[in-house]
Amino acid sequence: MIRDITLGQYYPGESKIHVLDPRVKIICTFAYIITLFLVRDFVGFAIAVGFLGLIIILAKVPLKFIFKGLKPIFFIIIFTFTVNMFMTKGEPLAEIGFLTITREGLYNAFFMGLRLILLIIGSSLLTLTTKPINLTDGIERLLSPFRKIGVPAHELAMMMTIALRFIPALLEETDKIMKAQMARGADFETGNLLRRAKSLIPLLVPLFISAFRIAQDLAMAMEARCYRGGDARTRMNAMRFHTRDALASLCMICFIALIVLQAYYL
Amino acid sequence: MKSKYLVHGAVIAAVYAALTLLLMPISYGVMQIRVAEALTILPALTPAAIPGLFAGCLLANTLGPYGIFDIVLGSAATLAAALVSYKLRSKPLLVPLPPVLANGLVIGPMLYYVYSVPLPLWACILWIAAGEAAACYGIGLPLLRYLSKRKSVFR
Amino acid sequence: MSIQVKNLTHIYSEGMPYQTIALEDNSFEIADGSFVGIIGHTGSGKSTLIQHLNGLLKPNSGTILVDGLDITDASVSLRDIRQRIGLVFQYPEYQLFEETVEKDVAFGPQNLGLPEDLIGERVREALHLVGLSYEDVGQRSPFDLSGGEKRRVAIAGVIAMRPKVLILDEPTAGLDPKAHKDILNLIERVHREENNTIILVSHNMGDIAALSEKVLVMHKGRMVMEGTPGEVFKKAELLLGMGLELPPAAGFMELLKQRGINLENMPLTIEEAVEEITVWTGNN
Repeated sequence: MIRDITLGQYYPGESKIHVLDPRVKIICTFAYIITLFLVRDFVGFAIAVGFLGLIIILAKVPLKFIFKGLKPIFFIIIFTFTVNMFMTKGEPLAEIGFLTITREGLYNAFFMGLRLILLIIGSSLLTLTTKPINLTDGIERLLSPFRKIGVPAHELAMMMTIALRFIPALLEETDKIMKAQMARGADFETGNLLRRAKSLIPLLVPLFISAFRIAQDLAMAMEARCYRGGDARTRMNAMRFHTRDALASLCMICFIALIVLQAYYL
Repeated sequence: MKSKYLVHGAVIAAVYAALTLLLMPISYGVMQIRVAEALTILPALTPAAIPGLFAGCLLANTLGPYGIFDIVLGSAATLAAALVSYKLRSKPLLVPLPPVLANGLVIGPMLYYVYSVPLPLWACILWIAAGEAAACYGIGLPLLRYLSKRKSVFR
Repeated sequence: MSIQVKNLTHIYSEGMPYQTIALEDNSFEIADGSFVGIIGHTGSGKSTLIQHLNGLLKPNSGTILVDGLDITDASVSLRDIRQRIGLVFQYPEYQLFEETVEKDVAFGPQNLGLPEDLIGERVREALHLVGLSYEDVGQRSPFDLSGGEKRRVAIAGVIAMRPKVLILDEPTAGLDPKAHKDILNLIERVHREENNTIILVSHNMGDIAALSEKVLVMHKGRMVMEGTPGEVFKKAELLLGMGLELPPAAGFMELLKQRGINLENMPLTIEEAVEEITVWTGNN
């Protein structure tokens, strides 16, 4: 079970989207999501779908992977859809038992459902086209202006980078511990929520102790290489802004403008 | 000295992110029984858990399938809660409380306003708080008890 | 409790571009009450194989019959399997978590749903079998013990479930020579006193040669050799070609053979080697 989880959702590639500066991608993703909330009707969504489709084509990520990202959230989408459909008051269209489907409900269900799907696909495009290490780098760069107000951007980024290195090892360790306890009859699957929660102690306690054991070794290795903290460190791959990033930003601005125009002025 | 602090934080971040990602279907979205949230008791055992949990939250949200809003709001809530939990470290029963409140009051409204969950605001808040309490008190408190006996791990 | 494996195949990440065939079409039998050794280079599929034997992994195809019961069948309860087949992983001390040794060893029996008083008995017996005294260590935290003691507590935790088949994956990994010997003696004692089947996975050829009645050799996901230690370790070139070592005694025999000295019987232990050489020098 654990072996089949790929870390993050990175889909390897060198597409036009893959090579963009991670800072640009992060900011654009934010902007895209906020813009989605400005959309007022399905015409606006059509524009968004078109834009998203363009990005997907440029990113050269197979649709299979895009929909894989929707799988975990599938239930949320269905939930949002159904609740909106049945709980919105308005002009009744049909009745199923004691539940009424209203016209407004149907509209809302599709509207909210579609928005949610577009939101998730947009976010997952970020993780699909950006290596986790570049993401953390991007976050560090974006947070560094805040160093002046005390945000330890570098330390945070270091923690994230080291954590990234750790996670595969940790997942393996978790797998081992889980199997060892299962071999002793531990059951992580059956029972009510409380029982299952308690059953996690035999997993979490050894996991912690193992994790910290690995951490001691790592700390020693870092000190042996004279690590002393962030300020004076140089980078191996400096991040540079390219023309393509400016182009991408421009496209994003056009998209936002288009949506705003459509929603409020047309 | 500095490396140890960093590495402890990194380990906590890694465990948090790993647990969130591993148990994905129940970590994200409306059904919020985030086992990883049990780790919010860690600030009671080491201050490295404060940036550690924050970093872990950031990581889990950037690696996971959705949560750009979670990245900012969720992580901020986790950070604030970690700080308060740290201050309350002498009272074990209160340590899991800050994350319950913070997540309820931040993620709840987020679900309501941003994700348009069609339930009243108070229901969203309570729903999140309940899930959080299950993780923080149901798993976190026993975890705190077990790990307190092994404090030497954190030095 | 005999085990029959037929056409066992396991593929990791099936369908993905990076899928790996961990086990390919393996068939073999393990007789009731026997002591079987499994050897193979790292990545040969040993660990994957043993995890199938106690139901932790399900094969993509093939069947596993334990005492006639097909454990690959979805309807078989995992609890039934775990009761019969115990598995001790590598570095088992990393599974310790409880507040006291007693509670940790009791974890397994508790999960089996045994009554309180029986659990207490099992804990004491298991600790005794691994050479620890309940009075000494029962109430101590498992983390306060030495490395060797921790490992023994971990093994006790599995023995307390009284499995008919006990699988041990590299039980002597990372131990100093004395602790190594202690664990081996422990395993022998368990085999003798519990009359169960033991499956030992190890890189230590000396141990395998000395203790096993039968040796199974894994290579790249397939079982390529099967036989008594004498039979298997005779095929020196084959083993070396697979990246495996020979037991010290057999290795020495190989060296002698290369110089034209052929002994009658394949010694499996140093003691046997000494005997054989004594006999040979007597005759020459």
